[in-house]
Amino acid sequence: MTETMTEEVAEREIVITRIFDTPRERVWLAWTQPEELTRWWGKRGWTAPLETITMDVRPGGVFRLTNVRDEDGAEMPQSGVYREVVEPERLVFAEGADAGCPDAEQTVTVVTFTDLGDGRTEMVLHSRVHTTEANSEQMAGGVASALERLADHLA
Amino acid sequence: MINPAIEQQQHGRLDITFAALADPTRRAILARLADGEATVNELAQPFSMTLQAVSKHLKVLERAGLIARGRDRQLRPSRLQGDALKEAADWLGAYRPFWEDSLDRLDQHLTETQEKKG
Repeated sequence: MTETMTEEVAEREIVITRIFDTPRERVWLAWTQPEELTRWWGKRGWTAPLETITMDVRPGGVFRLTNVRDEDGAEMPQSGVYREVVEPERLVFAEGADAGCPDAEQTVTVVTFTDLGDGRTEMVLHSRVHTTEANSEQMAGGVASALERLADHLA
Repeated sequence: MINPAIEQQQHGRLDITFAALADPTRRAILARLADGEATVNELAQPFSMTLQAVSKHLKVLERAGLIARGRDRQLRPSRLQGDALKEAADWLGAYRPFWEDSLDRLDQHLTETQEKKG
């Protein structure tokens, strides 16, 4: 049964393009150094404290950090493995890959940095969420929305 | 004031919740429980699993605070618990906002450090 349920693989994808008024090398640093990452990583209301961040920025290297909610200190650990590191133009990392949990969802994020030649940098973030869908209509919309519905259902 | 005991409890709870949610069978069980509480027997049927296998999954879900189980020794019906699920959903549902927020902050950070230098 488990096999049947893991056969159906759905993908969710997001693509975000941003242009920064900053040279490419500077943007690259922001993505690849803990002292930089701690300044911007995380949803609003959450922070990744410097002491929780370790990053080994090379192919096969692991990164780990803990997102801490400012409001109450709730923690959400995050980790992944770098797949491609091409300074200063391309960074690929997979999350959920090293948790010793092969069935877990895996998110592969590709970040490309393009030098626009005028001191600006175009960054494209392409994230694909490989979701192992359960054989259930409740889950058809993807894990996140399904969970939201479940949570609403109970609220 | 934050109750230290509660705070302690919350620390790492998302971790346990996500570990529990990582398994597709356990997610399917949760989806089934969204329709109402069910006994181990009732859960085992649609999933064509042994009672032992279902019980094992239920224990993981219970430990993660995702379900609660009745006291009835025979049936012990399981039902969904909202809080842990809500927290997990808040995080997962925030996937795009996670990046949008982060990149807004990155932009701000880059602008600020640029200004300092210039």
